Amino acid sequence: MLKILLKKQLYELNYTFFYDRKRGKARSKATSITYIVLYALLMIVVIGGMFAGLSAMLCSPLTSIGLDWLYFDIMTLMALLLGVFGGVFNTYSSLYKAKDNDLMLSLPIPTRYILITRLLGVYIMGLMFSAVVIVPAVIVYFVVAKPAFAGVVGSIMLVILVSVFVFILSCALGWVVAKVSSKLKSKSLIVVVLSLVFFGLYYFVCFNASELLQKLILNAAGIGESIKGSAYILYAVGRCGAGDWASLGIVTVSTAALLALTYYVLSRSFIKIATTPDKVAKREYRAQTVKMRSVSAALLWREFRRYLSSPTYILNCSLGTVFMIFVGVFLLINGGELTELVEYLPFADGFMPVILTIFVCIISCMNDLTAPSVSLEGKSLWIAQTLPVAPKAVLWAKLKLHMLLTAVPELFLSACVCIVLRPDAALCALCLIFPVVFTVFNAALGLIINLKHPNFTWQTETAAVKQGESVMIAIFGGWIIAALLAGIYYLLSSKLGAAAFLALASVLFGAASAWELKWLGTRGSEIFRYL
Amino acid sequence: MLDIKGLTKCYVEKKAVDDLSLHIAPGTIYGFIGHNGAGKTTTLRSVAGILDFDEGEILIGGLSIKADPIGCKRQFAYIPDNPDLYEYMTGIKYLNFIADIFGVGSEERRERISKYADLFELTNDLAQPISAYSHGMKQKLAIISAWLHEPKLVIMDEPFVGLDPKASHILKGMMRELCDNGGAIFFSTHVLEVAEKLCDQVAIIKGGRLIRSGTMAQVKGDDSLEEVFLELEDTSC
Repeated sequence: MLKILLKKQLYELNYTFFYDRKRGKARSKATSITYIVLYALLMIVVIGGMFAGLSAMLCSPLTSIGLDWLYFDIMTLMALLLGVFGGVFNTYSSLYKAKDNDLMLSLPIPTRYILITRLLGVYIMGLMFSAVVIVPAVIVYFVVAKPAFAGVVGSIMLVILVSVFVFILSCALGWVVAKVSSKLKSKSLIVVVLSLVFFGLYYFVCFNASELLQKLILNAAGIGESIKGSAYILYAVGRCGAGDWASLGIVTVSTAALLALTYYVLSRSFIKIATTPDKVAKREYRAQTVKMRSVSAALLWREFRRYLSSPTYILNCSLGTVFMIFVGVFLLINGGELTELVEYLPFADGFMPVILTIFVCIISCMNDLTAPSVSLEGKSLWIAQTLPVAPKAVLWAKLKLHMLLTAVPELFLSACVCIVLRPDAALCALCLIFPVVFTVFNAALGLIINLKHPNFTWQTETAAVKQGESVMIAIFGGWIIAALLAGIYYLLSSKLGAAAFLALASVLFGAASAWELKWLGTRGSEIFRYL
Repeated sequence: MLDIKGLTKCYVEKKAVDDLSLHIAPGTIYGFIGHNGAGKTTTLRSVAGILDFDEGEILIGGLSIKADPIGCKRQFAYIPDNPDLYEYMTGIKYLNFIADIFGVGSEERRERISKYADLFELTNDLAQPISAYSHGMKQKLAIISAWLHEPKLVIMDEPFVGLDPKASHILKGMMRELCDNGGAIFFSTHVLEVAEKLCDQVAIIKGGRLIRSGTMAQVKGDDSLEEVFLELEDTSC
């Protein structure tokens, strides 16, 4: 029985390779193989390669001063971070929120078998994410440090131990998420705030990566001493990789004990958490007279409700709003350095305002709110279709949401560009106008493609928000068009002034947007009516 | 109230509805019965204006659903077989949204929401998100939203599925009341006992074609509706 359950779990894990959810069909053998190969390439070559490069940077300087263990500590921590980040939500969803939990529990299967198979899925995910960090680190260690037998055994054991650490941490955090999640009120808001904090930290680390690594290498001896003194277990983990038998024994036994404890806690709480519905704090209803809204206001309000209810939609489709405000403030603070730099560069007058205006457009393309908006209607599409409103009114509301969340911060950022670069009045006006026109064009483009290629069969919003032609074209198409514009201006800048270029681009994109809006009001509305 | 003339809807492989004609007069509860895949939902979705059709005409209150869809939609309410509502809204916000779209005044909407939510014992749950509702609660909310703007015609696909006995009883009363006030109901059902007791007229559809229609007495004669239906299912090809 366990074998059958394990087989089912493995099939579920790899389901997307063999089944196209969007079309509701099994993939052909060739397509499945292509997907598997591409995924393997992404994980091994791209992500694994990235960590191999990082390992190569750290390994030589640290091992040459006898800090092999610190090298393994750093790489272990990275593997833990990636593995746990990739695994914690998977643990929560596959362990406690699996759609077939009720079915499984109703069948004559021992609960421990269900738990073990679910946990195997969690382990495989953790192993995959941690291995792309720790395996390249070990290979680089073999090549650079040429360890003795103990080092080889220790570092190979570390690969296994790291995957078990990731598993234990994922289970523990998944359990915490399950416990907290059932009691939280404003889940959407908390997820959005936490994600933004994570993005902020991520970008901070990325921008300062080389500086941080240099500091680490320069102060390696001091850092090593303080770890040895204050975090012995971390020191022992690093020593494992370096081939210290005693540390290997201590860490292996400790890990086994933790694993047993984790299994004990999970097996005691699994059924209770898996079968307890999320508690929704009961809100009391009090009848009150509400103010009537116009049809267009009601439809826009509906779009806002949709937007605010989904952290996935907010984070994937409106990150540009945050970026535009952030970059605007950054420009206001550090604009002086930019103006000094511009003075030394051999560009024609107005070159920088045009390039920065195009840069504003590029950031605005990170907002693709209209691109999945039709797909997001999902199974409740019938409501919008049976309401006594013109389909174009529904489509306009989607465009308005996009414009409100994009054009407003875009105007702020453009204004910051103008404050910093101080172009003349005409160029200043065009720097403000063109990005807005470009955004109308891009918003309408996303909506048109989504109308032509909607996806109403999604299981999770993520599929509607992240996948599909409309989303890809709205983001990457927008970036390509903006990059082309920059290239064209670079070629024409000696013959065409900045204001003339932006005026011409505004007219062209304005005309294209007018055509798109007309299409949405006629053919697009007809398509929406009978989707 | 509703005239369906020669409705034909083809999918790639087959005719889902074939030359179907029906007339539903004001004051009539009209039942639409047939086995799974007979073409009931396709007909109802075509009437609701969310499914394009190949031939024929659908008139609601004298207006064509193709030529004047908005005019038609102002007159009717549609409830599908599975009430997938906006899960990101609370019950009350959904009702207010529907009321805004239909231009129901503040006072009227308050009275009607209060009346129907009390009837279905949903008042205490109106502030809850719809995502927390059970299937039956969603069905009740869909019914309240349908009645909120006092439609002249209500189109329902399997409206009794998921409703508890008390709610079913209340819905039947609401259907009768709407028809007594000059409205009309067009609904599909598999529950033949309900159709027999509730409907003024009934139509039986098989393989997309109308095989019998008329008043309940005309359709079933001295037999039960179930006997007639099963007999027609066996004999009509």
